[in-house]
Amino acid sequence: MKRLYGILIAMVSMAASTFAADWDTANGLYAEGNYADAAAMYEELVEEQPAAEVYYNLGNAYYKMGEIARAILSYERALRLKPKYPDCKHNLALAQSKIIDNIEDNHHFFVAQWAKAFRNLRSENTWFYLSVGLFWLFLVCTFVFAFGRNIIVRKTGFHVAWITLLCSIITLWCAASLHHRDSAQEEAIVVQGIVNAKSSPDKSGTDLFILHEGTKVWVEETVNGWCSVHVGDNVGWVSGSAIERI
Amino acid sequence: MRNKLKIVLLLTAWLLPTVLMQTHAEDVSFTANAPRQVVMGKPFQLTFSVNQRAKDLRAPEMSDFDIVAGPYSSQSSSTSFINGQRTSSFSLTYTYTLMARKVGSFTIDPASIVVGGDTYRSNALKITVLPADEEPAPSSNDQQATTGGANATQQSASSSNRSGDIFIKTQVSKTKVHEQECILLSYKLYFAGVDVAQFTNNTKLPEFKGFMKQELDQQEIQTELEHYNGRNYQTAVLYRTLLFPQKAGDIEVEPASFEAVVRVQNRTQVRSIFDDFFATYSNVTKPLTAPGVTIHVQPLPAGKPAGFSGGVGSYSIHSSISSNSITTNDPITIKLSISGKGNMKMLKTPSVDWPDGFEVYDPKVSNNFKNTTSGVSGSKDIEYLAIARAAGDYTIPPVTFSYYDTNEERYKTYTTEEYQVHVARGANDADQTVVTSGTYTNKEDIQKLGTDIRYIETQPLRPNEHKGKGLNGQWWLWYLLPTILSVLLFVLFRKQIRDNADARKVRYRKANKVAQKRLKKAKKLLNDHQDAAFYEEIERAAWSYLSDRLSIPQANLTKENISGILREKGIAEDLISEVSNVLSTAEFARYAPSAAGSKSELYDATAKLIDNLENTKL
Repeated sequence: MKRLYGILIAMVSMAASTFAADWDTANGLYAEGNYADAAAMYEELVEEQPAAEVYYNLGNAYYKMGEIARAILSYERALRLKPKYPDCKHNLALAQSKIIDNIEDNHHFFVAQWAKAFRNLRSENTWFYLSVGLFWLFLVCTFVFAFGRNIIVRKTGFHVAWITLLCSIITLWCAASLHHRDSAQEEAIVVQGIVNAKSSPDKSGTDLFILHEGTKVWVEETVNGWCSVHVGDNVGWVSGSAIERI
Repeated sequence: MRNKLKIVLLLTAWLLPTVLMQTHAEDVSFTANAPRQVVMGKPFQLTFSVNQRAKDLRAPEMSDFDIVAGPYSSQSSSTSFINGQRTSSFSLTYTYTLMARKVGSFTIDPASIVVGGDTYRSNALKITVLPADEEPAPSSNDQQATTGGANATQQSASSSNRSGDIFIKTQVSKTKVHEQECILLSYKLYFAGVDVAQFTNNTKLPEFKGFMKQELDQQEIQTELEHYNGRNYQTAVLYRTLLFPQKAGDIEVEPASFEAVVRVQNRTQVRSIFDDFFATYSNVTKPLTAPGVTIHVQPLPAGKPAGFSGGVGSYSIHSSISSNSITTNDPITIKLSISGKGNMKMLKTPSVDWPDGFEVYDPKVSNNFKNTTSGVSGSKDIEYLAIARAAGDYTIPPVTFSYYDTNEERYKTYTTEEYQVHVARGANDADQTVVTSGTYTNKEDIQKLGTDIRYIETQPLRPNEHKGKGLNGQWWLWYLLPTILSVLLFVLFRKQIRDNADARKVRYRKANKVAQKRLKKAKKLLNDHQDAAFYEEIERAAWSYLSDRLSIPQANLTKENISGILREKGIAEDLISEVSNVLSTAEFARYAPSAAGSKSELYDATAKLIDNLENTKL
């Protein structure tokens, strides 16, 4: 039994050390300006350990190679894992300033936009733990309210209870919304230089509008390898290979 | 008196020349003069003149020429007083009359002469001997008149005036040039057998479209002899200009027109015997046209260097720096001098890329150009001034200057030296900082030079902490389990509370029953005359009834507590006083039975109190 543990620990540490070594090698390649090789290495590392930092470095390597769409995709993925990442946000904004399509998603109600922005402040896990904590606090406050010794304690308990319950629900909504976004894979980035969005999911469809690489689209459904995407007010079908989901 | 004056005058007249000779002994000039062009078979004069008394002229060998006459010597001297200043000149001239033997170009070597014991040499002369005029055939002039204009580039607008001939030729130094390459255009007047009195103002020069024009200084018109088409013409350059083509392609220079006033001998149809005696002349205005020229301009070849200055010609560049080591707030200058020949005016001023930390001023450009027949030459001196504002070691990058070399027909690039400048903190600068540091410094916003992505993450990664949790799997258990737990706890708490409440209720309900039981027992004890037991029972009955009825734990039972609770419950004051009355009576009787009132009275009071309380809503 002890030997087995020893082997396991050795394997884990070996995996960790090769990862760390590869990480340093990739960073070295990037520093030398060999961005293509660095990107290839980061891609491997991402498979191994999908961490925000690896995606961030991958995005930087793509950016330096001039592959803005891939860079945006990597930055978006990094931000999914770590929404509080100022460097990544900065680089993403810079990359987005270089893309051609200018799509303003402003037809949503402003409250919905605020809610979305609020939701994106923290990761799904953070929201979830916050929600659970608030819920427990709510339960404690309910007890205080129910069995409080005097009226002031019971009143305080009541008000704190309903506020914590409300907050718990809101944070749970945030977590659920993020979970839905990530699991539904609605958002995608156009990775092909120029894509014609068609009116139907086949090549013979009428060309409706043109998308350039780096643009973020929302995928609604997938039929025969074609995805129905909407961008701003436009809805059209594009080939599944032209976009990559975040 | 008068004689004395005469003697003085004579003395001065005799002495002065010798004095003057001595003072002017240094600047002896001995020159040879002859026309530059002579015609074969026509005599011409060669003179040697010296401005001092001289002797022993040794003329050079003149084997190519026949000496027709000479040498004759002649002297002249003049003295003049102007504003009391005396000037005098003297000249001794030896004249030879020569005649050329053959056509060609010949040199007459310098002659030598002795002045005051020193030997001086004259200048050498170059003489071109032109062939003699061919006897013009009667038709040749007419032919020239008609074919002259057709002779496009080297042509003439000729006009024959019987034996007189006058026309203007347009001469260009080159007809095939590169863009910006300099060409010399001149209008040359040819005349023979006519007398040109003057030119009118009616000169019309072409506009020289497509060229940059650089006129040459007009010097005095000098006539020269030139043999052209078998005839010796007097020639004079009327106008010269330098042209720099500004575009590629065939550029046409339009014809120019001049007007000359020619003196012609009147010849009338009616011949009279006076004609031969009185040759009359009249001035005739004669329009003359200089034909146009086409210049074939080639564009500059492809492959212009990045920092092409626009210069075409041949240039060289030289740079210098005022100092390599200065202190802050000191000026530093870089001097750049571009010298050479070509389109100097079109040269762009190269720029010096000063490092940050220098306050840069506009460069001062001074052009020193000279227009010559071979193009514009000279130098363009540029002074770049900057003031060092921050201490440190700086590198001033080299200045690149590239141009198209017309001789080598390729682009050439010169790069000046790179300068290393050390800027030390100046003494005055230190003072300044002391003054300013406490109170005021010029704050500057961070200068944004460009935008780039931020650098990659280089710290080693921490192992994954909590990935794959969140709303995956049984996330709802985090809510459900505590809820169930709390519901259970709630129920448990609730039950206990209810149980407690029930116990009290039972006691409340049974309070009267217990009290009645105790009273019954007390009655029995009263009848049995067991006084101590009776009092004890009475007291117990009262206390326990109040305890049960008011739900007060036994431990908290005091008279004050009871009356307080009763008062809280809004019980009438006389009932409350009765309660405390009964309680104190019972207590008192228990410890001092003899002093107490009748036992049955106490019993009745207690029973009545319990009755009353029973009927009151508590």
